[in-house]
Amino acid sequence: MSLISCRDVCLSYENNTVIKNLSFNVEAGDYLCIVGENGSGKSTLVKAMLGLKETASGHLHFGEGIKKGEIGYLAQQTTAQKDFPASVYEVVISGCLADKRSLFYTKKQKALVKENMEKLDVFSLKSRCFRELSGGQQQRVLLARALCATKKLILLDEPVTGLDPVVTSELYSIIRSINRDYGITIVMVSHDLDAAIKNASHILHLSKNDYFYGTVENYLSSDIYSSFTGGDGNA
Amino acid sequence: MLDAVTLLFSQGFLIRALVVGVLISLCSALLGVSLVLKRFSMIGDGLSHVGFGAMAIACAAGVAPLYFSLPIVLVAAFLLLRMNEKGKIKGDAAIALISTGALAAGIMVTSMTTGMNVDIYNYMFGSILTMSNDDVVLSAIISVVVSALFVIFYNEIFAVTFDENFARATGTKTSLYNMLIAGLTAVTIVIGMRMMGALLISSLIIFPAVTSMRVCKSFRSVVLSSAVISVLCFVLGLIFSVEYETPTGASVVCVNIVFLFFFTLIGRARATLKNTHLKRAVIALLAALLFTAVAVIPSLTTLSLDKKEKISVVSVGFAEYDFARQIAGDKGEVSMLLSAGQESHTYEPTPADIIKIEQCDVFVCGGGESEAWVERITDSTSSQFTVVKMMEVCSLVESDHEHSHTDEHDHGEYDEHVWTSPVNAKLIVSAVSDALCENDGANADYYRANTEKYLAEIDKLDSAFRELGRNAEGKYAVIGDRFPLRYLMLEYNIEYHAAYSGCSAAVEVNPVTIAKLNDMIEKDGISTVFKVDLSNGNVARSMCEQTGARLDTLYSCHVVSQELLDSGETYASLMYKNLEALSLALK
Repeated sequence: MSLISCRDVCLSYENNTVIKNLSFNVEAGDYLCIVGENGSGKSTLVKAMLGLKETASGHLHFGEGIKKGEIGYLAQQTTAQKDFPASVYEVVISGCLADKRSLFYTKKQKALVKENMEKLDVFSLKSRCFRELSGGQQQRVLLARALCATKKLILLDEPVTGLDPVVTSELYSIIRSINRDYGITIVMVSHDLDAAIKNASHILHLSKNDYFYGTVENYLSSDIYSSFTGGDGNA
Repeated sequence: MLDAVTLLFSQGFLIRALVVGVLISLCSALLGVSLVLKRFSMIGDGLSHVGFGAMAIACAAGVAPLYFSLPIVLVAAFLLLRMNEKGKIKGDAAIALISTGALAAGIMVTSMTTGMNVDIYNYMFGSILTMSNDDVVLSAIISVVVSALFVIFYNEIFAVTFDENFARATGTKTSLYNMLIAGLTAVTIVIGMRMMGALLISSLIIFPAVTSMRVCKSFRSVVLSSAVISVLCFVLGLIFSVEYETPTGASVVCVNIVFLFFFTLIGRARATLKNTHLKRAVIALLAALLFTAVAVIPSLTTLSLDKKEKISVVSVGFAEYDFARQIAGDKGEVSMLLSAGQESHTYEPTPADIIKIEQCDVFVCGGGESEAWVERITDSTSSQFTVVKMMEVCSLVESDHEHSHTDEHDHGEYDEHVWTSPVNAKLIVSAVSDALCENDGANADYYRANTEKYLAEIDKLDSAFRELGRNAEGKYAVIGDRFPLRYLMLEYNIEYHAAYSGCSAAVEVNPVTIAKLNDMIEKDGISTVFKVDLSNGNVARSMCEQTGARLDTLYSCHVVSQELLDSGETYASLMYKNLEALSLALK
């Protein structure tokens, strides 16, 4: 059974249907990039997968023991977070909340936090103020939080927005290693088609009335890819 | 200094205010951190206005304000939250709509029923005297509940505040916690607004959080520091307000402003100065300055426990102050609570006033509805002093409602300005004299002699007014102002027409009444329109401009300006001025 199975899903955004009859499967260990022009419903789809939004019709299922709430999530930063006084540690441990059964966090959870912070090389920033970190550091911290929230699946919504090229490629390699080394499934919304092709195993391309879903190899030979990049050869 | 602080906090009402205030400050600081970070700062403001509206309606309907407004504010809090989450109207607009709407409803209901009375005024600006023992218990329960829930759900509240989408995606019931925060905020505001005032309660929520955020770098330190700052500012503000006779709510906010200022400077210094030694020195200096400011407020306390040797008389207004000083002569210490030029109808005693009352021998007050606080003081004090209520020794007339739209309500509400008739003045003087003789038997003969002399003087005033009444038959005076001299006019059969009914601070003057009066002035060739001393006289002035009549002043003797006080005016001299002005107008 697939990790995520999406059957004939329709989604609307502010009363406009943006996605019609979408079907695809995400298997454990996949690295799926969702691409497409603005307004094609990428973020809406992610919200639906996170359970933040109802589907208008169709079925969106999680398989293999993934419950709602066992998904890690990394979004673009909201403006509110930019001046939020929180230490790095506080931010990362808030990822354990879904799993919290007692009044306070357990030793096991604290150990998990430490482990994930080390994985993402942010443990040394532990007591720093989140708002004073650089953009790349902030995204790594939020990724560590996402790792605390899940053992299976992380959804990322344009995580590299606003980062400089060096930091961007660093973040991509971290995400790749999370996928490869820890076996965590990645679903990422991206504007960066080149990086998507380079890193992902599967591509979901959303466009106004159509979509493509398949492996990167198939995508490269698809009509939708050539028409999308047709204008300047390489978008 | 310690003596003075001990004295302050041996007063029951101040202890209650302190307990309730500290608890409310703590709760609002905790909730404030989350609200400020969630960009919901104005929710407190909106809810307090809803609370004001609900309390006004509760006052009008005669139900307990607290139990009526609590559910209404709770509903408003959830409504605001829903509008914010789902609605097409965005958060700030939703709050503005609900808050101004509720405020308007409250003012409408108030104006249609009781007028701006002391209770309503208290809900606007707050009063530390409104705290009863029940309030202390209630606020203790609520603050325990708020802090307990905050501690239990601390991690959830952090997650919901920091990143609501993430929390929701990872299975936290965010709307539940949002409702929890909104609900707790609503409860805290309803309890706190009576002390801080509807207009200022939201500052308790916003200031400590913003102040802490200048310096603190983690959520936990912001929460802890907000709680400490909030409680500290409240206590300092309370002491300041007691010492300098300023309103408690505003004083607390001002202390908060000082803290915000220093914390901002410290934050700036930390962020901009590169040199560590310099940075440390600057921060230490700023901290020391703040600490000095904090220490200075309580040490300035000058209230003393000195017991006066002479008999002491405390009065509320000018008329009874003058009566008492005529009788007491140099054997007694007479003081008045209303300071020169102060608005009398919304007066409430400051803590220093209450201490003055508790230490006096004879306390003279009006005894009317606007002095409901007198009951609270006499009920709660253990000290012994004689209370003379002027309205109890005079025959009363009901408030004038001839132009008012509240005819169906409020019968049995008496005009409180009894002293404006010299006949009543004599009754009051006798009562005050008896109280003085009773409390200071040694000087009784002296007081009686003074009283006799003074009564004779008022008799002269009485016959002069009686003559004016006879001469002015068939004529009438026009007053373009609130009218406190009803007893005088009724006693001597002087006909009059006033723009306002009575002296209650009814919200607005009725334009139809003004138009009618202007017609009468022109038709009957009325020469003078009166204003009352210390009013802004706007209505009277505009009537004069309209009709070409002359503007003149009548004195209520309730409160007088500093100028008149300094020039040694008395009740009798002011009443002679009234006599002269009326004679001229009714010629």
